[in-house]
Parts: sequence; C-alpha cells; structure tokens
Amino acid sequence: MSDRKTLQIQRMSAHPGPIPGTGVQRDVQVCKLVDTTTCIGCKACEVACVEWNDMPFGATTFDNTYQTMPETRWNFWNLIKFNEHPREDGTVQWLMRKDQCMHCADPGCLAACPADGAIVQYTNGIVDFNQENCIGCEYCVSGCPFNIPKLNPGTKKVYKCTLCSDRVGEGLEPACIKACPTGCLKFGTKDDMKFIAEERAKQLRDNFGMEKAGVYDPESIGGTHVIYVLHDATDPERYGGLPKNPTIPWSYTVWKWLFKPVLGAFALFGGLGVLLHYVTVGPRRPQPEPPNKEGTNGNGD
Amino acid sequence: MATAIERFDERARRRFESLGRTVVYVGELRRHPVYTRFLHWMVALFFFLALFSGFGIYLPWLFRWFTPIFGGGPLARALHPWFGIFCVFFFGLQMLNWLKPMMWTPADTNWMRNLRGIVSGKEKLEPPDTGFFNAGQKLQFWEIVIGCVVFLITGIILWAGARTFGSTLVAISYVLHDVSAIVMLGGIFVHIYLSTIGEPGTFQAMTRGAVSEPWAWTFHPAWYREVTGRDPRESYEKAREETERAVTQNPSESKLRSK
Amino acid sequence: MTNGWIDIKNTDMMLIMGGNPAENHPCGFKWAIEAKIQRNAKTIVVDPRLTRTAATADLYLQIRAGADIAFLGGVINYALDNNRIARDYLVNYTNAGFIIKEGFKLPDDGLYSGFDPETKMYDKSSWNYEEGGDLSGKAVLPTPSGQNARATHVQGSDTGQGHQGASPAGAKAGASPVPLLPSKVAFDLSLQHPRCVFQLLKKQYERYTPEMVERITGIPQDQFLKAADLYTSIRKDGDMKKVSTIIYAVGWTQHSFGTQIIRTAAMLQMLMGNVGRAGGGVNALRGHSNIQGATDMAGVFDTLPGYLKMPNPNDVDLATYLKRITPISSKPDPWNSFNYWSNTPKFTVSLLKALYGPAATKDNDWAFHYLPKIDRNYSWVNIWNDMYEGKIKGLFAFGMNGVMIGPDSTKNIEALKKADWLVVCEIYPDETSEFWRAPGISADDQKKINTTVYRLPGAGFAEKDGSFTNSARWLQWKQIALPPPGEARLDQDILAMIYLKVRELYQKEGGKFADPVLNATFAYTNPYAPSLAEVAKEVSGKALADITDPKTNQTIKSGQQVPGFAWLKDDGTTACGNWIYSGSWTEAGAMIQRRGTEDPSGLGIYPNWAWSWPANRRVLYNRASCDLNGKPWDSSRRQVWWDEGKQLWVGNDIPDFKPDSAPKDHMGPFIMNPEGIGRLFVPLGGMADGPFPEHYEPIESPIANPLHPNQSNNPVVKKYKTEFDKYGTADQGFNVICTTYRLTEHYHYWTKNNPMNVQLVPEPFVEVPAELADRMGVHGGERVKVTSARSHYIAKAMVTRRIRPMKIDGKEMFQIGLPIHWGFRGIAEDEGKTAKTLANQLTPTVIDPNAFTPEFKGFLVKIEKA
Repeated sequence: MSDRKTLQIQRMSAHPGPIPGTGVQRDVQVCKLVDTTTCIGCKACEVACVEWNDMPFGATTFDNTYQTMPETRWNFWNLIKFNEHPREDGTVQWLMRKDQCMHCADPGCLAACPADGAIVQYTNGIVDFNQENCIGCEYCVSGCPFNIPKLNPGTKKVYKCTLCSDRVGEGLEPACIKACPTGCLKFGTKDDMKFIAEERAKQLRDNFGMEKAGVYDPESIGGTHVIYVLHDATDPERYGGLPKNPTIPWSYTVWKWLFKPVLGAFALFGGLGVLLHYVTVGPRRPQPEPPNKEGTNGNGD
Repeated sequence: MATAIERFDERARRRFESLGRTVVYVGELRRHPVYTRFLHWMVALFFFLALFSGFGIYLPWLFRWFTPIFGGGPLARALHPWFGIFCVFFFGLQMLNWLKPMMWTPADTNWMRNLRGIVSGKEKLEPPDTGFFNAGQKLQFWEIVIGCVVFLITGIILWAGARTFGSTLVAISYVLHDVSAIVMLGGIFVHIYLSTIGEPGTFQAMTRGAVSEPWAWTFHPAWYREVTGRDPRESYEKAREETERAVTQNPSESKLRSK
Repeated sequence: MTNGWIDIKNTDMMLIMGGNPAENHPCGFKWAIEAKIQRNAKTIVVDPRLTRTAATADLYLQIRAGADIAFLGGVINYALDNNRIARDYLVNYTNAGFIIKEGFKLPDDGLYSGFDPETKMYDKSSWNYEEGGDLSGKAVLPTPSGQNARATHVQGSDTGQGHQGASPAGAKAGASPVPLLPSKVAFDLSLQHPRCVFQLLKKQYERYTPEMVERITGIPQDQFLKAADLYTSIRKDGDMKKVSTIIYAVGWTQHSFGTQIIRTAAMLQMLMGNVGRAGGGVNALRGHSNIQGATDMAGVFDTLPGYLKMPNPNDVDLATYLKRITPISSKPDPWNSFNYWSNTPKFTVSLLKALYGPAATKDNDWAFHYLPKIDRNYSWVNIWNDMYEGKIKGLFAFGMNGVMIGPDSTKNIEALKKADWLVVCEIYPDETSEFWRAPGISADDQKKINTTVYRLPGAGFAEKDGSFTNSARWLQWKQIALPPPGEARLDQDILAMIYLKVRELYQKEGGKFADPVLNATFAYTNPYAPSLAEVAKEVSGKALADITDPKTNQTIKSGQQVPGFAWLKDDGTTACGNWIYSGSWTEAGAMIQRRGTEDPSGLGIYPNWAWSWPANRRVLYNRASCDLNGKPWDSSRRQVWWDEGKQLWVGNDIPDFKPDSAPKDHMGPFIMNPEGIGRLFVPLGGMADGPFPEHYEPIESPIANPLHPNQSNNPVVKKYKTEFDKYGTADQGFNVICTTYRLTEHYHYWTKNNPMNVQLVPEPFVEVPAELADRMGVHGGERVKVTSARSHYIAKAMVTRRIRPMKIDGKEMFQIGLPIHWGFRGIAEDEGKTAKTLANQLTPTVIDPNAFTPEFKGFLVKIEKA
C-alpha cells in the first residue's frame, strides 16, 4: 500500500485496546460529493462499480422504473434511485440520486458490529468492511440508517461500498467518480467538497430559483463522507428515502456501550452474590432426621 | 389439552425409564425420573453453548476469547441460533413435563413471605407446606419460560435480520435478547449455587434422580409428607431446640449442624 | 455541429430539442453541465417526454412529436416582435436584406409558388433573388472591390432531391434549363422592402402566434411565452455579449420535414446572431461514435467524400460535371464573397487521383468516367423498397442491422426474403442475418426462403484501430485494445479480401467495365490487411509532383503529405481522398493522434488535441464571432479577430475565413455559400420543400394542420406503394401519438447481448402516461400491445407521470414512447422474456425529401392491454 496514511485505521469494531498505528498519521478526511441537480441517471457509476469490484452480474426484472433494482445488493453497491416527485402544479420532478454507503463519521454499522475488525473506519473517513472478520450477524444491516450493508447468503458475509479504499489508498479516485461523465460526482477532502457543495447550493438558490437548495451532510451521525447537493434540502425523503435525520438505533449506542456492560456486570454480581452468601450465611443443609423417625439418619451429602 | 400433555409426558417418562435407571437407596426418595434429568441436562448443555457462543457477540471486547472455542466468530455466529433453538426445544419439553408441579399455589405465596428468613439462613427449614417445587424454583422456571419465548422470538428476528423484519424490530429484539440473557445469567448463578454448595444434597437429584429423606423433608416438607405420609416437623422443632441449647452451652459443638 | 462538444461550456443559454443528450450523449452532456455551473447558463428542454435531459433543465415543455417547426417558428415570431434580434449581424451576415423575385409566394395555403400537383415537385424558379442593386437608396457600404459581374450557376443540391419514392424521375434532372442565382443581388439593408427576405420572414412567421403554437404543439401559451422569453432574453435590447446554442439530434431529423426543422433552428440562431460564436451555433449530436465520419467519407449515396456531389447521367464529362457543381458567387455588388466551393475542381481531381492513381490522367478526364452516376434515389428506404420490388438482388450489411433499423421492419424482412444473397459482417448473431427466424415465419415458410446468407465474423470497435470523427468534427485516433477473437477478422481485411478476389476474377475473366476495379488504387503495404494508418494518410492527401506555394515559396516534394487542402491542385499533381480531411496526416505526423491538452484561451479549443476538419478549425464560420470591424462581439470570448498591424485574421481558433480579407472589404463570413452570408431564405434548389420552413403535420397525424387543413402534410413527400406501405389515420382508431427513442443503458441493437447492459434495463417497455394507463386499466409492469397500421409491438407498460395528456388543437391526446433496442436475438429474447416484436415494425416508410431520413418520430398507434 503506497499511501498508508489515508488508510490508517481510526476505529475498529469490537476491538479491545488501542488501534495499531494511531497518532503517527495525518488525518485528511476524504469525501465524495454527489450533485443531484446535475446527475443525469446515466448509470455509468453503477457499471464502473460493478466492473472495478469485479462483481458477478445479477438478473433484474422490469419494475415500472428506470431504476436498475429496488435497492442495493451485496454485489451491487452503487444504485441510482429514480423518483418521480409530483410538484404542486401537477408537473413532475424527476429525481436521480446515487445511493451508496454514506461513510458516516459516526457509522451505525460499526457501532452495531460485534466482530473484531470486521468493520473499520480509516482516519480518512472511509468505513470499510473486512469480510474475513465478518461473522454474518447482520447487526450492521440494522445499525445502518441508510439500508446499505447487504448479506451475501452464499458466503454469509456482508458487503457494501468501500469508497474504493483500494483505489483511494493508491491515490486514485473511486471508480464511480472516474466514470461519471457530467462531473456531478466529485472526490476530494471533506473540507473542499463541503465548500464546493455549499457554493453550488448557493448558486442554485441565487441563480436557478431553487430557494431550498442545500447540502445533505447530516449532523445526526456526525456528518458523512458522501454528501449531496439537493434541489430541496428540506425534504431529502423524496430522493428515494434519504432520511432527514438519520440516527443509529439506540440499541447500538446507549444500550451497547453503557447498559450492556453495566447489566452484564450485574449478572456477574449474581455470581459474586451467591459466593458472598456462602461465605456469610453459609449453605443450608438438610436437617437430620427427627427423632420420631425410625432407622438411621439420612445422609445429606 | 392438559390430559394430552400428561399422556405425552407419561409416555416419554416411561420410554426414558426403560433407557436409564433411577436407583433409590434406603433412606432416599426418588426425585426426578430419567426423562426429566435428560431434558434438564440437554437444556443445560445447549443453554451454556448458546451462552458462551453468545458471549462473544454480546460483549466482544471482553469475551472475544470465547469465540475460538466455537471455531471462530463466523462459526460461533452460525451455531449460536441452533444452540438456542435446541435449548428452547428441550426446555419446551421440560415445561410440558413440569407444567403441573410448577403451578402457583397459596403455599408459594406463603413461601415468598418467608423469603427473607430463608435467604438469611435463619429459617433452616422450608415452610411446612412447601411442595415438590418451592416458589423460588417456580419463579425461576416461569422466568425461563418467558425468557425462552423472548429468546425464540427475538432470536428468530435477529437471525433473519433487518432484511426480513426491518431495522427497528431488529434493534428492539437486540435489546430484549440481551435483557433475557442477563436475567437468565443472573438466575443461573443462583440455580447452580443452590443446587450444589448452597444446598448440599441437591445435586444428586439431577444426576441419580434420588434425594435423601432429610433433604426432602428439609427442603420440600409437603412433598415429603405426600410421598412418605409422615410429618417430622414437630419432632424436628423439638430436636432443634435441644440442639440449640447444647450449642449455647458448648459453642464449640455443633453436632446437628455438622451432620 | 457548427461548434463542438467542449464549446457548449461557453454558452449562456441552451435550447435542447429533438435530442436527449443526457441519455444518448452523456459524455458530451458534461459540457452543458459545465455551462450551468461556470456561467449560470439556463437550459430549456422541449421534448415529447420528460427525459433525463429534461430532469436537469430549468424549463421543460412537453411538445407533441412532430410539432417542432411550429414551436421554433413561434420563437422566431416572438424574437421579431420583441426585437430580440441581432440587427447588425442580420443585415451584414445573412441574406435578410436580399430582395426576392416577384412571383414568389408564401405558403398561406400550405404551398409555395411553383408547385406541380402532378409530380408533387416544385418549380423553384421563383425562389430566387432579384437581380439589381441597392433598393433602399441609402447604402452605407464599403466601396465596391471591383468584382466582375458574372452569370452564376446554382449552388444547388439538385442531386437526389425529388428522386425519392417509387418514381425514378430524377434522371431528368438537369435536362431542363437550370435557373441561376443572379451575380448581383438586389438588396435593401434597411430591411424595409416588402420583398426583402426579412419582411417575407416576418410575414411567414407572424402566423405562428402563441395561440397557433398551442394548437399545434400542445404547449400552453403561457409556457410557450415563458420559454420564448427565456431563450431570446440573451438578446435583450440588442446586446450582443451573450450567446445561446441549440442542441438537437435525430428527434429532429427523423421527420418527413426533418431538414426544415433544423433550418428553422439555424434561422433563429442567425436572427439572434448566434452562429459562428463560441457557445452558439446549431449543434447536431451524432448518434454513433463515427457517424460524422461516415457522412464525411460519403456514407450517403448522393455525395462523394468531402460532400462533393455525386455525378449523374447528364454529367457526360468532367467539365460538365464541374460546371454543374461548382458555384459562382452571388451577392450584393458592393460586398465580397469568398465562395470557397469555387475550388471544387481541385478537390475533385485530387479525389480522382487518390481513387485511380496513375490511371487518372488529364487525357482521360482524370478517369471521371469511372465514377458511378446516380440515376435515381438510392437512399436507405429506397434500397429496401427496391429490394422488395426485386430490383436489388443482394446486400452487404457491415456494422448495421437493417432489419432492426427499419422503418417498417416487416417490409425489410419481406425484402430480404426476395433477395438472392445477403452478406452480414457482425460480432453477434443479429436479426438481419437471421431474418428468416423472425417471429411469425413458420418452418414451412422458412423452406420457401431462398436467400443465401453469409455470416462473416467481424471485429468489435476495441479490436480495431483507426479514427473516429465525432460530432465536433474531430478526427481522433484509437488504438487496438485486444485482437479479434477466434476467426474474427478486421473489417478492412474482409473488404480487402473481397476486393482482391473480385479484381482477380476481372483480371482472369474480364467483364463489363472492368477498368474502375482493375485500376483502383490499392497500394497498401499488405493489400490483404490494409493498415488504417496508410488509409488515413491516403485520405489526407499527398503531392504527386513537387509543388510550390508562390506566396511563401514553400515546396512540398513529390510523395510528401500535403499540409492542407489549400495545396490541392486540379492538374493531377496532388491526390487527396477527402479534401475536408486534408491536413489530418501531414509530414509532421498524424494530427489525428495528437493529445495536446493546452488550452491557452480557456475557451476549450484545445488546438493540439486530435484534429478537427476543416483545417483544424474548432468553430465553423468563426468570422461571425466578430462585428463588422473584426472585433469580437464579446471580448471575454475571443475566438478570432482582425489584426490591423499584421493585416491578418488571427486568434485562438483557426479563422474560418480568407485570412487577409480586411473587414472593410465586407466579405461574408459564411464562405461556403456563394452569397458569403447565412441563408434565412434558401434560394432555388437548396431545399426540396420550401425556402422557408413551414409546419407540416407528420404523415400520420391525429389532426389536420391548423395552419392549412387542406395541405396538412409536406406536399413533396411521397408515400410508398407496396402492400406493406399502409398509413394509419385517427379515424381508423390510431389515435395515440407514438415516438421511438434510445436508452442510455443500451447501444442500439448490440448491447442486448451484453449481460451488464441487460442487467441495467432487462426488458423492452412502453412508456405510457398514467392517465392513459388508468383509462386502459393497466398497471406498471403489465403487458400492453401497441398497434400501428403496419404491425404491433408487445411489451410491459412503464406507467409514468413524466408524459402527460395534452390538448392538441383543442382535443385531448396522449403520447407514448418506446425504446427501440430489443429484437428477436439477444439475452432476454433468447431466454423467452420478451415478445420478440421489433419497435420499427410499427414505423411508417416515409422519408424527409431533403435528407431521405425516415419518419421514426411521431406516428399513430393504438394501445391496449395485451
């Protein structure tokens, strides 16, 4: 790996102790910018993703839409979601949004994952799955607010967009970015992308009459490393169910990191408790046979 | 219904009695038939397998050393639901087997009132109306029944995953599965303690199936009375008073306690 | 394209119509996006469907398929009414001020003057300029530059026009006296003369009121006005700084009046002064990576390479032919005209030398008599019609799938049944080579088909080198990515083998007129596998003797590549396969292989990237980007300009102009026209169906033309007469308007064989408006049957709100659309997942009278639940 700096592990699922190599790397955050106002739904990114990642082709069925399939698959990580959004005047706004892993700053999948090293977050912000460590429990699936990780039923491993960590690690842009013909996909540092996105949103507000144009970089999960420019940032749901305030289920946050150990300890206290009972109170033994009983004393032990 | 279950249990007990034996020596009472013991140990086996394979998933940073026992994370993950299914299956049979003796009675309410005395060791004997199972055992039994139901439902939801049941249900199940495990884990300490060193003489009930008569009348007086037709309670009280007097006179001697 | 792909980024306003670049040219569409982002450029999309292009537009209007001229005519009317025109440009760079002959009549009744209902052709003698001088009486013109007045010949494209259809009447063309353009054109630069082009234009389009536009196009007036206002807003108060572009594709060409739609666009652009300017122009997006190259290299029956006209039987010798096709300038006397086509003899003789080498001598008219002479219309539809009628016995089909292309695929299949032989060179088993397996042909029927089919394994695009010429006229070289698999051969190897075998047979056995075959130049290093680099050099041209430029004293030695077409001679000392490609491969190397990424002007000219014809010019007519004095209209987009010091035209682009013609000489910027100016009015033989475009209804239309109900269709369009040529009407129940199109996910009829593309869009479908689907009781994904007068098509319905019901001439109507990609061979087809019907079984056999393109867009069908 020529550029270990960008693929320095920042967090590691279920890993005790410090992360190897921390503190010796720079921390440039990478980011993918998707401008939905200039996406033309050409699906070049879909094809580039499938080809770069060498995925097998899967059958699809016509479903009254231009969308390739209803949602991403374990072997199809990048899907443009097509939505016909009815406007108030009866016309239709045709929305196309490239759906893929959002590479959350606070990744729900990683929080949910119980397998050591199955999910890592690099210091550059990429959230990556290491299938060799994956135990196939699919907790990540329910931990993800964007419905991204998908189980391969054959291997019982979960897969998702890697933000082409293999390419980014070599200093290349992700495959989808390279394939995008219109430049609606951009890749760079989070700061730069955020700047470009905000500028574009401002341009849409000032010059194209889209008063509600804005950037989707949800704070509720600490921001994402894939950000969108939306025609109407007040209603991300219309873009094929982009959650307005994505959250990680509390079971993978408060529960997992607070109540689990605490209550687990309580259970262990059960063990301690009985020990204490033995020491202080002592065992309760069978009482001797009372005198009115004929024969020998019973032996309790 | 009840009769159908009884017939089923009866048949199972008979069949198992022909597979194994329960030897009852003089001074002993038959406590658990082979069928019951078989179920118990099956439940125990799969409970612990499920427990230990689940530990690694429950708190991996603490318990990840459990997973190699099961052939690594993926295999532990793959086996865990099956362990659980078998545990629940055998416990289900046990439940049918014990449905009747586990029914709550006024005696149990009475027992609960004396709980403090029993736990603190002040009460050397169970209340005289304590039957085959005491209220504590019944409580734990029903807790396990509920726990198993929760395990089963939430386990299936977790097993099939968010693909089938959606993230919310999985997230809820995730918590309930944990809660169920924690409660059961707490219970299992008490269970093991009381069946071994906490109440000596108990363990053999689940191994050989027989218990000593003193054990029986100490811990399950009503059952003892029912099986033997005798009630040693009064004589015992008298004997105890004598003993206590003797102990007061000579603190070093504790004849009754030791034997 | 007058401009180029990258140049779109320089625009301020885009009108995208008759094209769907986001879907069909996604890579080029990046420049439209670039204009939006960098310049806040606005986009107006007018299309029958809300396409993926429309999804990115600032304004989308749903138009009835085939009503484009009405819309554009309405915009012209709006621009004229609101003075959103470029007055100086109009007066000096177009024929707005030219006076038209007395006797010319506008088509108030649907017909221009001179129509002969018998032959369905026009006598165009009244479509001409009046001879004379300044009729305004207040000429503010540069001094006349001593031009000699000469009688001129028509620069007409008489070839082909009027030759369509079943009547092979074209042989007579040229027999009657040919009308001529006057060398001195009468003019009125105040544009007030009632017969000046500008006033006629006004009169022609004042009928295209917003009400009329609404009736014809189905676009509500308020929306139309919004679009017209937005589009013309760049010329508010006559300000010349901003530029707008018009982008189109086959959605315009594939009509029985397709060429006229494009002319309407060109007129609008000239009215607004947008032609020749960075970010402006009229930009045709070509549907194949190399369709521009195919046209340039005479992939059309009526041209020779470089758009030289094909000889006809009346061209008894080279002189007659050259006299006919070489135009002589025709202009207001005080003006100047470069008339670049006056060099036609040089290009023609150089071509003949390239074709026949030493066999072409001065004494044998440079072997002019070797060239085939076209006696009738051999365009696409006529080839199939002739084959059906038994006049064509065999067909070579290379790189195309004739059965799928249609129109009326059923007729094409029937035609192939009647052929003796068919040779198909393909990379997949296709519908043409397996026409005998078409659904509906039983085993017994198959036994009756006697066509011998030869299938040759061709090579895919990545297995060949050579150049592609893109829509921007760039010749770009590509390398071989991998060799052809198995026994597959490169196309040029297959063609060479066939040629060499035929030549060998002629050598051995002789035959009728063997000379052209025996004497054709074939001097490739390996004649059995001609190197495409050698072919490209041959096309670019070389000197056959030492030639010297008297001005610079530069000498090109015999055998060296010529630097450009300016060096071509008509004395046999140069050979050039295509004059417009001359200079693409010079002594300096292969210009078409250049990969320079310098763009000093920032206008996206990239002069050192590949090579653009002609002479590496990136924007055609770029002289028009400057005002009369040679200063750019917009100083921030400087393409070329007049350098007073050097007394030359210089700039970031190569000037498309006579480099030393000073502005005071008033030479017209449109140097390829004999007038030197842009034609708002096309005189004489330029167009078959009228000097101004007029809205006509498609051949199959649900309404009578609101402008002139008694002349609803294009009067010069002829219907075909075989039993397959049926045309439906609304009265027969064909009351739904249907259009065909391509998807971004598929490439014509090839990618249905590629799993990746099939995964993206697995099956054929029909886009149906939700309201129509409700009425039919059809839900998305259910099968529907679309029936035209000719055949039917079955596919699943895509029920959508992106196509809405519309009011056409007051009546509620529906449009549906169907992608053309599926046939009876392919992954989904072979798995039995489709109905195996072909979209082009529905389309009618009818063609545009100028370009002979079939009317694939806008025909009538009925639709029902299948």
